[in-house]
Amino acid sequence: MGRPAEKVIALAQIATCPGQLQYNLERHLDMVARARQVGAHLVVFPELSLSGYLLAHGVLEHAVRLDDPLLAPLLEASRDLALLVGLPLREGQGGISNAAVLLEGGEVRGVHRKLYLPTSGMFDEGRYFVPGPRLEPLVCSLGRFGVLICEDAWHLSSAVILAQAGVDALLVVAGGPTELDGGEEPAGSRRWHWIVGATAVTTVRPVFFANRCGWEEGVLFGGCSWAVDARGRSLAPPAPPMTETLVVTPFSRVAAARARTLIPIPYAERLDLWRAALENAGA
Amino acid sequence: MLELPGISTALLAETLEKFLAEELRASGLAGYVVGLSGGVDSAVSAALAAAAVGRERVLALALPGPTSAPESLRDAQAVAETYGLRLEKIELGSPAEHLAETLGARADRVRFGNLMARLRMVALFDRARTVPALVLGSSNKSEILLGYSTLFGDAAASVQPLGDVWKTHIFALARALGVPAAVVSKAPTADLWPGQTDAGELGFDYPTVDPVLYWHHEGGMGREELIAAGFPATLVDGALGAYRRNRFKWRPTVVARVSASCMNVDRILPRNPER
Repeated sequence: MGRPAEKVIALAQIATCPGQLQYNLERHLDMVARARQVGAHLVVFPELSLSGYLLAHGVLEHAVRLDDPLLAPLLEASRDLALLVGLPLREGQGGISNAAVLLEGGEVRGVHRKLYLPTSGMFDEGRYFVPGPRLEPLVCSLGRFGVLICEDAWHLSSAVILAQAGVDALLVVAGGPTELDGGEEPAGSRRWHWIVGATAVTTVRPVFFANRCGWEEGVLFGGCSWAVDARGRSLAPPAPPMTETLVVTPFSRVAAARARTLIPIPYAERLDLWRAALENAGA
Repeated sequence: MLELPGISTALLAETLEKFLAEELRASGLAGYVVGLSGGVDSAVSAALAAAAVGRERVLALALPGPTSAPESLRDAQAVAETYGLRLEKIELGSPAEHLAETLGARADRVRFGNLMARLRMVALFDRARTVPALVLGSSNKSEILLGYSTLFGDAAASVQPLGDVWKTHIFALARALGVPAAVVSKAPTADLWPGQTDAGELGFDYPTVDPVLYWHHEGGMGREELIAAGFPATLVDGALGAYRRNRFKWRPTVVARVSASCMNVDRILPRNPER
C-alpha cells in the first residue's frame, strides 16, 4: 500500500435484508473470515448491518439487547480482531437506538447511538428510534475512534467534537440511500466522498467510511466504501457502488499524529467562538 | 427549454439487475414470469431479468387477444429469441370474447381493453403460481405519473423494475441492452384496439412530455412556471391534468383505519418474509 501500516482496517460493504437477521449474520461472518485472511485488526460494518436498514416497525420485533444470543457468534469472532457492528439496540429504559457496537476480545467495548435521526424525504428514523444522548470516543486496542452513523457525519460539528476529544480516526458507518442522476456513480456516493474527504482534511484525521450496498424495499444503497488518510489521500480505492466487497486499508496512529503536528488545524479550534454561538442561540 | 437530465445506461442497468436478483432471493421463489407485449418496456424488463437471474429462470408469456396487432406477437418472439427466453403463447381471444359477452362489454373498446389487460394479469399470476415465480412488471415512471395504465391490469405486478424510470430513458436503456431495433423504434401502444397508440390517446409523446413531468414532479415547478419556461400551455395542461386526475392509481387501494395497528399506517413492515 506504499505506506507503513501499523494496523489493518477492513470495511465490510455488505447488502443486508431487513428482518432476515440470520442471512445478515452470515454476511458478517463471511466478511470477518475474509478480513482475518488479509490480516485485519478491525472490521467495520455499515449502519444497522445486522438487521437491515428499512425495518420500520420491524425494529419492535428485531431490536436486540447487548446480551442477546444473536450476538454470540460475533462476540466469539471478536476474540482475535475488533468488530464495529450496526444494530437496533433495545434500551433498558425503553426505546430503541440506532447503534454501532464495538466488539473486541469477546466483549462489548463501547456503543455509539446515532445522534441525528433523519425524518424527512424517504427517511423516518425518528418514528422508530430514540436519539443518542452523547458523543464520546470508543476505545479498543487499535486506538480511540470517533464513530458517526450516517447523518451524524452530515453535521460537521460531530467530527469537530470528536477531534477535540482526541480521537485517532473517524469511523463513519452508513446505510446511505442514493438516486441515479446521470453521473457515472450514484449521486449519494458522490456526496459521501465529499463529506469523507472534507471531514478528514479539516479534522486532520483518517476517515474510514463503510456504506452498505444493494436494495431494500425498492430503495437503492450506494456502497462506494472508502478510506482516506489525515490529508485526504486515498488509503484504498473506493469500492464499487453495487457489489459486496471488503475494502482493506492501512491505519497508522503515528502517521495521523505526524500529520497533525505538521497541520495543527484542530489545535487552533476557537472554542470561544463556539461558546459565543451557544450563548447567542440560548443553548 | 428545460430538458430531462440524462442517465448512465450502464449504471442503471447494473443497478436494476441487482434489484431483480435481490427481490427474487428475498422472496424465496424460483424465477420471474413476464408478459412480452412486443413493446419496448416489457423487452427491457425481460432483458434485465435474464441478465440478473439467468434466462432459464425467466418465463416469457405472449398473451395475444382478438384485437392485438399481428406484429406484436412477432416482436415478442424476436425479444424472446434475442435473450434466449422460453416463450409460451397463451391465446386469450376466446376467454376474452366469452367474458366480454357475459359482461356486455364487447362494444365498448375501453371496457374491452381493460378486460384484456386484466385477463393478461390473471394469466401471468396463474402461471407464476405454477413455477412458483414473481410477476415481473413493465410499467414505467412516465405512464405511472400520467395514470396511463389499467388498474389491476398491466399495472399489477410483484415487482416493477422500471417504475421509477422515465420512458425517454427506457428507450436509451433498450438500445444499450440490444433490444431489437423494430421494437425500440415503433410507436408505443397498449395494443388494446387496432391503431391505438399512447401518443394518440394522451395527446403527446413521451420525449415531449417527460421534461414537463420531470420539472413538475421532481423539480417542483407549477403550471405558470412551466409555461414561462417555454412549454406549450396545452402540453402542460394535458400532462398536469392527467397527473392530478389519475393519482389514485399510485396507491391502488385504501384501507379504512379503525384501529391503532392498521397495516402500512401504524405498522409498516418489510415486504419480504422475515427469517
